Amino acid sequence: MQTVEELIPQIKELIIKQLNLEGVTPESFDSDMPLFGEGLGLDSIDAIELIVLLDRNYGIKLADPKEGRKVFQSVRTMAEYVKEHVKK
Amino acid sequence: MSQRVFVTGYGIITSIGNGAKQNFQSLINRKTGYGQLEILETVHRNEIPGCEIKYTDQQLAELAGVDVAEGFTRTALLGVIAAREAITMAGLTNEVLNTAAILSATTTGGIRELEKYYYELQDQSKHGEFDSFVDTGNPGEHTERISELFGIKGYVGTVSTACSSSANTIMMGADLIKNGTVDVAICGGAEALSKFTLNGFNTLLILDREQCRPFDKTRTGLNLGEGAAYLVLESEDGVKRSGKKIIAEVLGYGNTNDAFHQTASSPDGAGALQAMQTALDAGNVSPSKISYVNAHGTATENNDLSEGLALEKLFAGTVPPFSSTKPYTGHTLAAAGGIEAVFCMMAFQNNVIFPSINFTQQMDELTISPQKDLMQNVSLRYILSNSFGFGGNASSLLFASVDQ
Amino acid sequence: MKRMNYYINGIGIISPQRTFNNDEFLSEVAQYDDNHLNCVTPEFKEYINPIQLRRLSRMLRAGLSAAVISVRDSKINAPDGIITGTGYGFLTDTGKFLTEIYDYKEKQLTPTFFMQSTYNALAGLVALTFKCKGYNNTYVNKGFAFETSLHDAMMQLEKKASQTLLVGGYDERDDAQYRIHLRSLYYKTKPINNLHLFEHKTVGTLQGEAAAFFAVSDEASDQTWCRLVDLKMTFLPESKESLFINLTRFLSANGVSVNDIDFFVNGMSGDVKNDALLESLAQDELKNIAEVRFKHLCGEYCTASSFGLWLAASILKKQQIPAIVRFNQINAQSPIKTVLIINQYMGRNYSFVLLKSAH
Repeated sequence: MQTVEELIPQIKELIIKQLNLEGVTPESFDSDMPLFGEGLGLDSIDAIELIVLLDRNYGIKLADPKEGRKVFQSVRTMAEYVKEHVKK
Repeated sequence: MSQRVFVTGYGIITSIGNGAKQNFQSLINRKTGYGQLEILETVHRNEIPGCEIKYTDQQLAELAGVDVAEGFTRTALLGVIAAREAITMAGLTNEVLNTAAILSATTTGGIRELEKYYYELQDQSKHGEFDSFVDTGNPGEHTERISELFGIKGYVGTVSTACSSSANTIMMGADLIKNGTVDVAICGGAEALSKFTLNGFNTLLILDREQCRPFDKTRTGLNLGEGAAYLVLESEDGVKRSGKKIIAEVLGYGNTNDAFHQTASSPDGAGALQAMQTALDAGNVSPSKISYVNAHGTATENNDLSEGLALEKLFAGTVPPFSSTKPYTGHTLAAAGGIEAVFCMMAFQNNVIFPSINFTQQMDELTISPQKDLMQNVSLRYILSNSFGFGGNASSLLFASVDQ
Repeated sequence: MKRMNYYINGIGIISPQRTFNNDEFLSEVAQYDDNHLNCVTPEFKEYINPIQLRRLSRMLRAGLSAAVISVRDSKINAPDGIITGTGYGFLTDTGKFLTEIYDYKEKQLTPTFFMQSTYNALAGLVALTFKCKGYNNTYVNKGFAFETSLHDAMMQLEKKASQTLLVGGYDERDDAQYRIHLRSLYYKTKPINNLHLFEHKTVGTLQGEAAAFFAVSDEASDQTWCRLVDLKMTFLPESKESLFINLTRFLSANGVSVNDIDFFVNGMSGDVKNDALLESLAQDELKNIAEVRFKHLCGEYCTASSFGLWLAASILKKQQIPAIVRFNQINAQSPIKTVLIINQYMGRNYSFVLLKSAH
């Protein structure tokens, strides 16, 4: 079982790949930085992409997109959610 | 000299009926096409409902009078059936068709067949019935089929602006008649269900697992549907010469872009408002004169909020009866504008306003509700029909009755 | 239609030749040996901001960049309307979504490929970029998609004056489509060099792609490349003779005869079957006119006539015909004033476009 600190760089890489964030490196964004609005500037379509990311990589199904707003606040909140809900 | 543009015929096939009579009967009897998907092969069959036409491709080919082995896609078959009815109703001869325009719209074209045979088609060593679908994946193909089958050679065009597509074909047809390029234009669209669109809309999380409820507080999304419909438009001079019966006039139209987001409409309804206002201005009709609005009303959270607010603003408190007919037919994407235009024609002919089925609770953000029940013996002078699509495309058609 | 003047006041084109810089004109010619002609692309970040850029597929980037180039070229702030044409749309993203459906058995799919595969995605994107709330349409009727877009722009300008409409044509190539269309012999079965396309009298053509935008207005400006006089489409002409009758009627309706044409742009594609009518016209009725061809440079695709339009407009603006496009020994009269483009797609869709010099 991975710790939150171990999950963070992994999730950053997945986000960069899934959202095609060319030119963005894991080092260049802070794990507590807001992902939506300010910060990385993601939008509603990206939110759906992140839901798929959780499903494909961790077997976690986020049925209600509104729950996503809390989970996807930052990379850290995502990592914490994954640690709690990941299916082996 | 700008000609007036009249509707002299129409054709339609949807999940609530093949042809004008069946569709009308279903509308007044609240009979919908909603149910489980049976013919489309999808893993979502037990989970995602839709409004499917319960004919196999083979049966559609028989109805269309063509051989399915010739590579007619389901979209093309639906188009042929609807086009034939329209041509017959308007009494168009071969000679007239030869210089007429055919403007059809689709978002899928033959994607249903392409998705089935995507890998086989790429393998040169494989052969089978899919050989006839080698070039049907593109949207323009179905229009060329209709053109060739009926000999419609004056102008051949295909529009794809998502859900506003067939409304845009009606506008183009009217423009071509007004500037004298053609005298007759057959305008509308055809759309078959496909895994591509079903899954595409599913990824956007806007498909309801139950029957859709436009403008309802509890709405959670749309149901997909399939179908085809065409209007026959003719010039004023042409109609005078032939003495044909006119069904309605295409009085005005507006094509604008919301320019807000790729898939969402601006939440304050600015895009919808602009399209409707443009149509009214073009027809020189004030909002207070509108008898009925056939709304786009897909039952997504976003559309209905956007469109509802736009209706409130446009009609400044006195909103005419409005309804969405999508609970009957589902959202037929590119064909929706054409199908709903045909329903507007039926409304004129029968003095009825079709209900917005499944509506029970008004939305918190609106002060208005759609027409829940069928209204009969209504005098309809002007009807507005809305179609809004992805890519910000917003279209609105203004029709006028002709009993003056 | 009313007799009006239309002007092409800006162009942006990204194609298998180095065409994205309007100051250059085929000074370098790209060669291809495998029947696939891919776009030569600029640095997209010069035209598109990074936040928009990341989600966009290659062809969406090319399309949006071409639109931006044409707007900058025309020196307007933003267009009043946008009309695009495409035959097959965004093939790569269509293929990616189809593949995902297959690989993931319709589960865990992502929205981006679906959204980017829609035919009007580019028209929507350009509208978003320029906050253009005006007329917006997309035509998808195969070999007429670009012509219909151009014709619609003319109709819109006739209805409402003092506007600039951005008219675009784009098509993307991909390997899946190449393989599929080998079945129907659309493409050459043996690899050839594109510059020798017209020497091989065989069935099949080359698979090309490009994105081109034209700023079309009813008013001339200092940026005007040329005048767009008229256009006409003919679907499935019965014979060369009936096509030629259509052509002479088209020209005479615009006060022009065959003899007035300084050069014509011939949209032959290298497919001996589909080229038959145009080749016969070139050798017969049009044999005394300087001839230019272009599909050896861009390949064949539904909206290739847009490449032909760029070529004709460039020649009119710069008053020079590059050797690589000349196809007979006849020299065009100087100054070059009147140009005819005749295109065909798959031997089914024929179009005429008549251009005149700006002044």
